[in-house]
Amino acid sequence: MPRIDTRFGSLDYEEDAVVEFPAGLPGFADERRFLLIEQPAHRPLAFLQSVTRPELCFVTLPVRSIAADYQLKVSPEDLSLIGLDPAGHPVISEQVLCLAILCLRRDQPPTANLLGPVVINRVARRAVQAVRDDMVYSAYYPLGAVEEPCS
Amino acid sequence: MLVIRRGRGESVFIGDNVEVEILDIGAHQVKIGIRAPKQVPVLRSEILLASEANRASSCGVSPEGVAELVERLQARSRAR
Repeated sequence: MPRIDTRFGSLDYEEDAVVEFPAGLPGFADERRFLLIEQPAHRPLAFLQSVTRPELCFVTLPVRSIAADYQLKVSPEDLSLIGLDPAGHPVISEQVLCLAILCLRRDQPPTANLLGPVVINRVARRAVQAVRDDMVYSAYYPLGAVEEPCS
Repeated sequence: MLVIRRGRGESVFIGDNVEVEILDIGAHQVKIGIRAPKQVPVLRSEILLASEANRASSCGVSPEGVAELVERLQARSRAR
């Protein structure tokens, strides 16, 4: 079983736990393989740990636990990338996760990137950072009013 | 900012190699085509924002900071 030494300790993982980002992420175009780590002790947080860069780990929260009425908006191109119907309107579910990357800077209030949530097709194990084109949500949405998580 | 009026099918050049053409005009959006050399990056502005946010999010995450946030989130959910 492959092992990776992360900032949060060593981690064994199965190859089929890897989520592929075919387009990388903005600013990290070459990072295409991440582990989605959801541990009971860290609920409701989930981690996206790069397989190739041990020091790279994004901390995320389900968008609905930040903004309960969050509506997905994903371009046809992004939908195709993760194996979903490009003409469809995906809804957040057990199969289609929508996670906001958190920005946790020392001495600053935590924020979440709701402009570009990470959308994961769990069935195909493919993901994309689906950056919205409508500018309805901020890339630095304050976490102050985090609501109770609902799936 | 330089402001130029252009109609459908008209274009502007930026430098010698970059051409921006207005392909279609709708009520809320315009469709533009960009011809540029491969080495010139063309990005939607919100992708740049996301890129900055990702870089900011990728550094300064400490296990202590994470533990603190988890505690706060779990306390809040217990309080409900």
